Amino acid sequence: MDEQLTRVAQTGDKRAFAEIYAYFAPRVKGFLMRGGTIEAEAEDLAQDVMVKVLRKAELFDPTKASAATWIFTIARNARIDAVRRAARPPLDGEDPALAPEEAPRADVLCELKERDQRIREALENLPLEQYDVMRLHFYHDEPHSAIADRLGLPLGTVKSRLRLAFEKFRKELGDHL
Amino acid sequence: MSNIRHHPKTETLAAFAAGRLDEARAVVIATHAAICTECAQAIEEFETVGGAFLEDAEPVALRDDALENVLRRADPGVNVVTPQKPAGDLPETRLPLSAYLEGSIDDVAWRAVAPGLSQSVLKAEGYRPGVLRLLKIAPGVRMPRHSHKGEELTVILRGAYKDEIGDFAVGDLADLDAGDTHTPEAIGDEPCICLIAAAAPLRFKTVLGRIVQPFIGL
Ligand SMILES: [Zn+2]
Repeated sequence: MDEQLTRVAQTGDKRAFAEIYAYFAPRVKGFLMRGGTIEAEAEDLAQDVMVKVLRKAELFDPTKASAATWIFTIARNARIDAVRRAARPPLDGEDPALAPEEAPRADVLCELKERDQRIREALENLPLEQYDVMRLHFYHDEPHSAIADRLGLPLGTVKSRLRLAFEKFRKELGDHL
Repeated sequence: MSNIRHHPKTETLAAFAAGRLDEARAVVIATHAAICTECAQAIEEFETVGGAFLEDAEPVALRDDALENVLRRADPGVNVVTPQKPAGDLPETRLPLSAYLEGSIDDVAWRAVAPGLSQSVLKAEGYRPGVLRLLKIAPGVRMPRHSHKGEELTVILRGAYKDEIGDFAVGDLADLDAGDTHTPEAIGDEPCICLIAAAAPLRFKTVLGRIVQPFIGL
């Protein structure tokens, strides 16, 4: 998908965009619905996200993030913007200074792919109970107490599992770097 | 660039990447990450986790006319890049904080709250409750020992302070839990300016309480 997105950025290739849309739009909608957003709202937000993906494609920097990560940050910000309509600190690739200037170098792309792979492995190596709370942490924007209710666990357990998950995840990544 | 000694907790960085922080805390973390490459990288890693979860999410079909709709809405082809603010005194104007200031840190309208202590409350309450403010501590001024009612994030923008945890200089961030106590004292020759986010709006009963509560934990 990174290549398609790069093509959209460079030439506005509508066919490449249709491929990105086919893959990501339903996932963005599913992601939002898993997070408790009602369907009508998730539909609107998913469309907003895809509009932004198309408009901002030229800010996509394949040496910094994969298409999935980049689109995640757009979806995340869209969910935040749905709650408020003010400015948010730009650390989301929208800063024009972050836009790529030249064609990405193959070795940098390769490094990023490896990093993504390591991150996925680190995630998959988490104990299932830690993986589950971490996933809910990303799907939901509701307080941890609501996540605790959802899982039928005490709040303290959810918090400590999350902390363990983050630490194990970071340690695992560190071990591989 | 890595003379930064104090960083946010891992869970705070993860919460930022997941979009879970209130706006006030998000500004403080973004400010730190704009200076700290280590934390910027950790945030990217957690965003990659978000990307992985996005890919794993069960797809739900959009309406039939959605693609057409998206293409039409995106069509004006206008690139919506927000204009850069004029760069006055770099690098502070590049900080995410600059969007919340009218001008630079030098133009802040300070309100004295105690001898050697002044503050300015910034408007960052649109997204989930949270309070963002700038605090200026005159050189040598020591704040009374105080604890925090809720979690609090502080990033140093100018000058330095020291407390029981250690010395905090520009870019350093204190990620305090509710109940942590400390006694910060501005050190060096210039005033220490910090950006502070409290997780929840503080409710004050009196003018004095309004001034003192955040610091003393009344
Ligand atoms: Zn840091």
